[in-house]
Amino acid sequence: MDDSVKQLLRQIIRKIPSSKLESTLTKWDHLSKRQFRSLDFTQPKWLFCENLLSLCEENDLTVKQVTELDMLYHIEHPNQGTWYACQLVDAEEETLSSELVHFRESFKKHLKYLISHIAVKTKKNDDGSIWIRIAWGDNFTRPNHLKPSYVVHHLQTPYVFVSGLTAKYKTLLHQALVLSTRYRSITDVHLSGRCLSALRDLLMRQYKQVFPTKYPRPLQERNPLPSTPNIENEHMKHTENRLQMAAEVFGDGALPKLETAVYKLETKYRDNGNEMLSGREEPFRGEVRFTSSNLLESLKSCVSSGIACAPVTPLLSSITQKGRNYFVITDKGPGISRPPGPKI
Amino acid sequence: MPRKSNLSRLDMNSSSENDSSNSGRSDRSLRVAENNRKKSEAEDPFVLALKYFSQVEEGTPWKGNDVVERHMAVVERVALSQGLPPEAISVLLDFAMSLRMGAALCVRVLKILVPASVVPQEAVIKGVSWLCVGKLPMNAQTMFIRWVLTVFDLIDSKDHLRAIYGFIFSFVTEDNLCPYICHLLYLLTRKESIRHYRVRKLLDLQSKMGRQPFLMHLLALYKVFCPELVTLSFPSKMKSGFRNHNSTWKVALSAVQKKNKAEVFSDIQLTVSVKKQPTSKKRKFKGHLMVPAMSSVPRIGTSNNKAFPLEQLRTFSQLLENLHRIELPAQMGSMLGSPLALHYMDCVRDDSAFLRLNFWLGHSLHEEFLFCRDSDSEDMTEAVRFLNTLISTQCFLQEGFSSTEVFLYKFLRVWDGALLRPQILGLLSDIPVVPSSRIKDLLFEPLMQLFFTSSLYFKCSVIECLNSMLLKWLTWHSVYALEDELDISVTSHTPLNMTLSGLMDSVVQLVQFVGRIATVGLQLEGYHPLLLSFTLDFYETVCDMYIKYNLPLVLMPPAGVFYPFLLATDPITVDRLCHIMYRYRTNLISAKDQDQQTEKAFHISRKTYREFNQYVVSIVSCLWNSRVFLAGMGIELSDEVLAQSKVPEYWTTFSLIHHPAFMGYAVDFHQKCWPERKKLDLNSIRTGKRWDWYVEFLFSEGFQGLKEFVESSLNRRASDREAGATAVG
Amino acid sequence: MSLKPYSKLPELNTANVLLVENEEEFQKRLSEAIVRQENSVNVTVRLARCLPLPVENAEGRPRIDLVVFIVHLRSEQSLLSTEASLKHLDSGYFLGKVCFLVTGARSGTVSYERLASIKRTAASLNCPLLMTEDKTTEGVHTAAQRVLNILKVSAGLVPMASGLYLSTLIRCSMPTDSDWQNQD
Repeated sequence: MDDSVKQLLRQIIRKIPSSKLESTLTKWDHLSKRQFRSLDFTQPKWLFCENLLSLCEENDLTVKQVTELDMLYHIEHPNQGTWYACQLVDAEEETLSSELVHFRESFKKHLKYLISHIAVKTKKNDDGSIWIRIAWGDNFTRPNHLKPSYVVHHLQTPYVFVSGLTAKYKTLLHQALVLSTRYRSITDVHLSGRCLSALRDLLMRQYKQVFPTKYPRPLQERNPLPSTPNIENEHMKHTENRLQMAAEVFGDGALPKLETAVYKLETKYRDNGNEMLSGREEPFRGEVRFTSSNLLESLKSCVSSGIACAPVTPLLSSITQKGRNYFVITDKGPGISRPPGPKI
Repeated sequence: MPRKSNLSRLDMNSSSENDSSNSGRSDRSLRVAENNRKKSEAEDPFVLALKYFSQVEEGTPWKGNDVVERHMAVVERVALSQGLPPEAISVLLDFAMSLRMGAALCVRVLKILVPASVVPQEAVIKGVSWLCVGKLPMNAQTMFIRWVLTVFDLIDSKDHLRAIYGFIFSFVTEDNLCPYICHLLYLLTRKESIRHYRVRKLLDLQSKMGRQPFLMHLLALYKVFCPELVTLSFPSKMKSGFRNHNSTWKVALSAVQKKNKAEVFSDIQLTVSVKKQPTSKKRKFKGHLMVPAMSSVPRIGTSNNKAFPLEQLRTFSQLLENLHRIELPAQMGSMLGSPLALHYMDCVRDDSAFLRLNFWLGHSLHEEFLFCRDSDSEDMTEAVRFLNTLISTQCFLQEGFSSTEVFLYKFLRVWDGALLRPQILGLLSDIPVVPSSRIKDLLFEPLMQLFFTSSLYFKCSVIECLNSMLLKWLTWHSVYALEDELDISVTSHTPLNMTLSGLMDSVVQLVQFVGRIATVGLQLEGYHPLLLSFTLDFYETVCDMYIKYNLPLVLMPPAGVFYPFLLATDPITVDRLCHIMYRYRTNLISAKDQDQQTEKAFHISRKTYREFNQYVVSIVSCLWNSRVFLAGMGIELSDEVLAQSKVPEYWTTFSLIHHPAFMGYAVDFHQKCWPERKKLDLNSIRTGKRWDWYVEFLFSEGFQGLKEFVESSLNRRASDREAGATAVG
Repeated sequence: MSLKPYSKLPELNTANVLLVENEEEFQKRLSEAIVRQENSVNVTVRLARCLPLPVENAEGRPRIDLVVFIVHLRSEQSLLSTEASLKHLDSGYFLGKVCFLVTGARSGTVSYERLASIKRTAASLNCPLLMTEDKTTEGVHTAAQRVLNILKVSAGLVPMASGLYLSTLIRCSMPTDSDWQNQD
């Protein structure tokens, strides 16, 4: 084991919280039973790390085996860092569905063809997704395992999720993906968040949706109000409507967890009172950012509690309907306000 | 005395070794043990870490430096679990402030500088000297000063620190540091440290920065010590002054102290009660209301002429011996929990102590409770305990703090009438006399709103509260009023200078206010006996104001209160009313005598006599003469209305026989007189000697008030059963 | 169409209160507390987000004896909504049949301006203004009890007292600046 491997292992252990160390190392399975038993998980981390290092040295582990640990931890705990969603478009042949072995081989091949010094590691997860860990290097340096990118792709779907990718390697990755999946191109869908499964659910519509009907279910079914005859709500109908509307837009039950929604404004400033700004030719740039630990729930409760006006503005409803949380709003033509269907 | 040994790991080892040697081991094993000890000492990561920090060379890079990382980890662990021993504090503080490994590490070290026992004064001095070098970034500077403020009580002595007062003072010109420096100076200031040029500097700053509360408080303290140097006038009630300084260390420090105290003091009986501190809490999210523990650290007996920290007081005799050189703790709030400290406050009458305590209290009540960022928490136990301590302190000192008063006036305006009711009303009854010009705005208006919308029990407790408020005002008057002249401008440190007429105006307002709210309250609550009883309590205080408390004032209850008493359904109420009327009579007569003897005494208006006589006539005609509702008897009703009620002989319905309160006794008496009689004829009691016997019978049943009233106010005409009321006036 | 206090006949031993709040959460808890607390009188609570009330309910709506406006100081919207709703109330209600319930006055994050503004409104209409602790169950309980106390008077269930009489005793006074911010 050389120093870079040691450093890598140290970094990985530092990242993993103490409470998760034991379970992650069990899964890793590169230590003998005896070695594993000798580990004391109550030790302070730096001390524990030294002990672990000496064991690994005994076993003479390679970089590959060490990165496996990192990967294991990431698959178990995917909600770290920000994930960006991409979509593959224009399928070449419908019939030729890509299978795992083939995809793996061809992706590695294509990527290695594009850039020489990289280390790629893939693993199939239980839910059918394929996880790819890429450590990038360039022509003169070795792959940097300390800052890897993670790519998650569900075969049979056009969606790819990426985290930890720098702009420098973006095109390379995209190209390799396109080549190995028989699609013609790939685009950014402008959806990002910390929770991987939420992004997936949102794009694949895997949350409980409610569709507009003529005969909404009576409110009591969903939201039992106090049943005493002595309390009566004057605005019962409105409340029902609002709840229905909120459910139609954002879905019912537990909603996918998004943290932010960003609206970039590139529109003209309109305010009759302020001549300084409203007369200008160039657009007034601004950014509106909503943040919450669970943005969709917050927005939904704003609508259902009546804090936000109903019907819900398309700006908010497009988060779920279009599956994205980054929008740029521009004026279409001079003076005419564009209907707020956002475009990039 | 706290053993400081148990806090450093090395000493702990050695002591255990010594123990084992006592148990009779051979020399050889002792030597082995000694060697082991040395070995373990050399290997102890904490010792190694300290060694590293004391020896590390300047300019060592810290980024990616695993060695420093490892040592930091050890130190952090020790600091947060058991606190740092004094020598470690010195080493680490020196390491941090010298910036040997850059500013980032400096701040990081400062953050974990949690002392286990004492902070050596020399370490702080050294820190200040590094501050003077001027290389520290601003955030580290403020952090250091905040740290000093936090651990101020733990610094083993402060004489050298006071010696460099001038150096510390020089930092007031730094805008960012100024609030904290002012606070530190506030804690360090002695009379001798006040100089003309310092006052001038502060005034300069004030003109530059505006009337900043921290400057004001420091100047106010200067004025307390040297009034001739500071000519500025201060409002009697100042805004709370100093910024919060201890947020970084509060949790860790209290946890460590709690742990160590539990070990150290388990066998010592404490007269200075150490408050149990709640464990970790984030200040941002929760109001903190606790009496800080009086930190007890330094060693006694290091020198004889040094100041004696108040927190070391254990016994009363100690207090007496050291009275002249008591040093106040930095956290004035800790005095609340300590009876000895309060004794000290009370007998020394130290203005600066009062000023500081008041400031601390105002700040806690206002920032942490009234304006608490987040009032969600259902858990009010902390607040209850705090306010109870405050109440008992005020009770001990027998006066309210002005900051409590300010707090209460504000709180009443946002009170829902239920939150902490017993505590708030308890504090309210402690407030000093409110000037009559402001009493309506401050007290009556908010109380009235709460009173009329709240429950019966709230109404009762408000009346009770106002009763004890009145009692305290009267007691205060009777204690402070000079006997020869009735001028009672008190020269205590109570900011209130009140003349007799001012006090009387306030008392009149208060009594009239209670009369008003009781009238309407009784009406709204359907003359509930409980409310009647509390109102009677109040008037029992009012009727005796002249004789008991020497306040030349007689105030009669309004009709809306008097008649409900008289026509109440329970005999106790009527009896107590009679007692009250008897006391009024005694007061009036004694006032009249006084009036005749000395010319300059007060004059009771004819109206009061008239009212009193009217009430007496009402009672007599109602209970004795069976002439209720007849013309000239107080309550008059037209004959037609009374006829409509179809009650036969309605004028007798409230006589002592038919009065709903006494009817039971009348029946009882009837039974005793004519045991064989089947038919009840109460009117037969009115005839002959029986009436007198009946009245005697009532007296024997324990109606003392009735007896007093009869004996004083009734002139019996022997010829018939008519009685006349004896008028006063 | 504005709500009128005397357009309907009262019912025996009944008191009706209308709670107006632009959010619904506190309203619901308060209404439950009110109903649970009162046994001797038949109290019905009607909940509304704002005034005017929907016309289609006008038939079945009993006579409203007291209108309670719930104002959350932490939200500007709550204040604006209350001000707007007040316009739809018949002037007869302001003779002792309206009260304001304010939450969050004790919190440090609330601006003094909002409190002063609602106090001014209440004072100009001669209405009482009650402070409430909405976060705790005890606070809701107390608020319910105080609303009931006023309701019983304004519904004429307390002998020799009327809503107008009570509200002259407890009406809000104009806020002065020295109330709050100045300690000097």
